[in-house]
Amino acid sequence: MLHQQKLRFSTTGRGTYDITKQISEAIEKSGIKSGICHIFLQHTSASLILCENADNTVREDLNAYMSRLVKDGDSLYKHKVEGLDDMAAHIRTVLTQSSLSIPVHKGKSDLGLWQGIFLWEHRTNSHKRNIAITIMGE
Amino acid sequence: MIFQDTIELASQEKGATDITELISTIVQESKINTGTCQLFVQNSFSSLLITDTADEETKDQTIDFLAQLAPSCDNVSNVINKSMDAIPEEMRSAITQTTISFPVKRGKPALGAWQGIYLWERTTQPKKRNLTITIIGE
Repeated sequence: MLHQQKLRFSTTGRGTYDITKQISEAIEKSGIKSGICHIFLQHTSASLILCENADNTVREDLNAYMSRLVKDGDSLYKHKVEGLDDMAAHIRTVLTQSSLSIPVHKGKSDLGLWQGIFLWEHRTNSHKRNIAITIMGE
Repeated sequence: MIFQDTIELASQEKGATDITELISTIVQESKINTGTCQLFVQNSFSSLLITDTADEETKDQTIDFLAQLAPSCDNVSNVINKSMDAIPEEMRSAITQTTISFPVKRGKPALGAWQGIYLWERTTQPKKRNLTITIIGE
């Protein structure tokens, strides 16, 4: 059995956005009880991560780490057509994930107690982000 | 056909542990001959890696490199109500894999000759870890 749908999110600049609820709703809507949920972000300057969901400052710190690891406007970059955050956003995406697979168990996402699914916007301005969800199972 | 199980890995030592044989056994027990196998860890303090099995040094040096990208006790972190290793671990989790998928062929994991599956445990206190394994195929 297969269920496929798209989700669309509006971001308001660099940072993480909790999408766990929307993914859980898609899994419940699919009627699939046991299987795999594949989440695919159709962009190259934003990414997907699983991260602890209890304390928002954890993800603020992740941003701080990433900003130090991948510097905006580094003189190394040739690609800067859309600004100082342009190439950095592509690198940040490659270092994280464009797709995640989550087990589906008893009709729900089988996440750990403190795991949440986050869309990580790497651009500093607002964007519309599309996610394709495919749920396979029975 | 779907096979799904959550296994508790006994207390893991800090570092990368080869779990290839364990996973191969489960794949064979599932009786699925052709398909996809997904592994998923339910926490931010361990990751899954596929890397070289020929030389022990490879996996050790790989995790040393990854760990240095998000150093411990770092002044980037704002979070003070958590243990000092919490934020670097979230970052290490974000730049590695919580979930991996590989093909199942003729009832076995279709890994390359030198590929092995490792659990990278990063806590100083050895912990039991839950690993969900989902195999879809026929």
